Amino acid sequence: MKNYIIKRCLIAIPLLMCISFFCFVFINLIPSDPAEVALRVRQTPIITEEAISQIRVELGLNDPFLIRYARWLGDCLRFDFGVSYVNPARTVLGEIGRCLPATIQLAGFSLIFVIILSLPIGFFCAIYKDSLFDRIVRSVVFMTTAMPAYWIGLLLMWLISIKLDLLPTSGNGTIKHLILPAFTISLTYISTYIRLIRNNILDNMKEDYVLYEKARGLKERTILINHVLKNSLHTCIVAIGMSIPQLIAGTIVVENVFAWPGVGKLCIAAIFNRDYPIIQAYVLMIGTLFVVFNLIFDIIQYITDPRLRRDVN
Amino acid sequence: MKFKKFSAILLACGIMVGALSGCAANKTADGNNTKAKQEELVFVNFRDIRDLNPHLYAGEMYAQEMIYESLVNITENGYEPCLAESWDISQDGKVYTFKIRKGVKFSDGNVCDANAIKANFDAIIENKSRHTWLEMMNLLESVKATDDYTLEIKLSKPYYPMLTELGVTRPFAMVSPAAMKDGSTKDGVKEHIGTGPYVLKEFVTDEYAVFEANENYWGEKPKVEKITVKVIPDNQTRILALEKGEINLIYGKNMIDADAINKYKDSDKFEVALSEPTSTRQIVLNTTDDILKDTAVRRALQYATDKKAISDGIFYGLEKPADTLFSKTVKYCDINLTPYDYNKDKSASMLEEAGWKLGSDGIREKDGKKLELSLLYNSNSVTEKAIAELMQGEYKKIGINLSIKGEEEQSYRDNMKAGNFDMVFNISWGTPYDPQSSLSAMRKPVYGDYAAQQGLADKKEIDNAITNILTSTNEEERQKLYSFVLTRLHEDAVYIPLTYECNKAISKKRLKGVQFTQTQYEVPFSKMYVE
Repeated sequence: MKNYIIKRCLIAIPLLMCISFFCFVFINLIPSDPAEVALRVRQTPIITEEAISQIRVELGLNDPFLIRYARWLGDCLRFDFGVSYVNPARTVLGEIGRCLPATIQLAGFSLIFVIILSLPIGFFCAIYKDSLFDRIVRSVVFMTTAMPAYWIGLLLMWLISIKLDLLPTSGNGTIKHLILPAFTISLTYISTYIRLIRNNILDNMKEDYVLYEKARGLKERTILINHVLKNSLHTCIVAIGMSIPQLIAGTIVVENVFAWPGVGKLCIAAIFNRDYPIIQAYVLMIGTLFVVFNLIFDIIQYITDPRLRRDVN
Repeated sequence: MKFKKFSAILLACGIMVGALSGCAANKTADGNNTKAKQEELVFVNFRDIRDLNPHLYAGEMYAQEMIYESLVNITENGYEPCLAESWDISQDGKVYTFKIRKGVKFSDGNVCDANAIKANFDAIIENKSRHTWLEMMNLLESVKATDDYTLEIKLSKPYYPMLTELGVTRPFAMVSPAAMKDGSTKDGVKEHIGTGPYVLKEFVTDEYAVFEANENYWGEKPKVEKITVKVIPDNQTRILALEKGEINLIYGKNMIDADAINKYKDSDKFEVALSEPTSTRQIVLNTTDDILKDTAVRRALQYATDKKAISDGIFYGLEKPADTLFSKTVKYCDINLTPYDYNKDKSASMLEEAGWKLGSDGIREKDGKKLELSLLYNSNSVTEKAIAELMQGEYKKIGINLSIKGEEEQSYRDNMKAGNFDMVFNISWGTPYDPQSSLSAMRKPVYGDYAAQQGLADKKEIDNAITNILTSTNEEERQKLYSFVLTRLHEDAVYIPLTYECNKAISKKRLKGVQFTQTQYEVPFSKMYVE
């Protein structure tokens, strides 16, 4: 088991290297001159050639590509992501550190919505398969998966905040501000997990052990809750765990609609301002989160599922 | 057992998030109340106020205007005294002597006298290269405080827009010397302390800022005592927040789209206001292009452009059609120019005369070359794309094949500057930089104008006239020179003026006194009040 974990961790390292490399390459593929961009985002009204060459030296842009990459990577390993072009007084790490708590709060709240809504609904859809309830849920699920989050967000805002006057439209502050954006983000995932849980339970219900248990005369309820649900949850826990980085990345649009001061809003603003260091750090962060969560939940699944352990050994 | 483990994890997650949101609940600041209080004005912007140091360019101008003041104000009646009570300009136009207003204090209690202002000039000059876009920086010879309340500025040459450049929001706004870092501001200031009508009370990055009336203010106290500026990046969300009453003013050129203005025009809950033209939306024609180097073709394009259709179809008439490069409301620009009125037939016959004959495919040709042009627009701008498409259809009718090309903002600007275009969208600098700064910039390769005008036979003559305008000391002569430059540019047909942009505001009916000033980025909060 120890070997397995060490192996998985070692594989993650080249993966992270690849992510950092692509992240750096793609930013550098943008045709605009970063020095000129840096001057423009600081709103220098007229950009002269002297100012550009001065900034090029300041930002170290005259070095060859690979040297710049190595330097950047080395800095990243020491958690030094540089300073923002827009506001050189702010470090990228500081900016992300400032915005991350709000995003984690939002993603965490969405996760709760996802779990408390998709588990029971998926469960009941499976038990009452093809009933009216199941069919309604299925069509709603199709619709919400297809609708873009920002649009749902605006509709909810209009309905809940303006027409019903229940919650504030946007901003940060109280728990009331959190409900609408968190629910908007969770909707897409809820739809996915309802389908996932429903299908898992249906698959499990066809397994032989269910037949045996029925033959043993166990109550239908006991079979469903103690055995079928438990067995179906394995896959779901992993899927939900892996979706945590997705939730964090998925806040990007919703944060803008709801003026939520998280990393998503930071990143969108950085994209509009061509604030390359922040975009780079954001992409690197999300990439790393995906790798790390994948790793963690792979290992968790490995530990909790004896069948997997047997296969690997 | 494992199910229990799972529920334990769930519970832990729940507690964690609960705790997090608990923290959030405690954080609620008074600036964040859901409903605006009576005497409070809640304004909105798409980003926060950023770094308000007025000696650099990274802060929001409306907020800098609230905190800081300059020597003079630019108003519709010309220059008005601000921190300078009066001023004298020497006969040769080189020496400016300002009498500094007595009894003015910074909000930290320090006196704002000639010495404090001199300290500000020193700090600005220390970072001179950043400010050379203002011609006066290049001409500045010395700044002296001759006594506590007299400031003398010497220039190497007379320069008529001097007072305008001193009056614009930045960089010549006065910071308390105590807030500077060792007398320097180029690396930021310690605190935002000025002499203006408001002081910054609270600022949460990316969320909101709270301003309160400055108790030590020397001038008339503003009626609204507290102004909260919220950050809402999304257009639609801003409108919904206004509907709900979380904010009571949306203000700015690009903060409201034409659809929203149209919707609230006749509302009994909201007031809509539009300003005089602030700037001109235009298309720049590249005179070095093989086809466009012919003045007749450029004029034909002017006649082929239906500005009324653009104004009505895309802006619901909110942006009025533009006849000339600068609106007649701009100083020195009310001269007699005959606009190129939309006339398809005239345009067609002009092209015919210039040798462009209709080909079998409906596209004009001359010496085997097709009349094909490309129009570059900024793909971030939905408006420009819509205009480009409309023009494409119009031009087709008279046998011009216009291909339209959208590029993201940075590369659009790069191409414009390098002159890689046949036709390109542009917007003039706007008040109060029009016309002097816009024209002045045409002489240097910093914007598309320079590249576009290279094919003009009289480019040198125009540039010389612009240089002469800036150093002219005589009003009459200046007007003559302006008339000359504007007439030449008009007759050379380098620019197709499309519409005049204007400032827009939507406010709650109860908020009165919403108006516009000469400086397009300023929001005159001190004139507003709640009924």
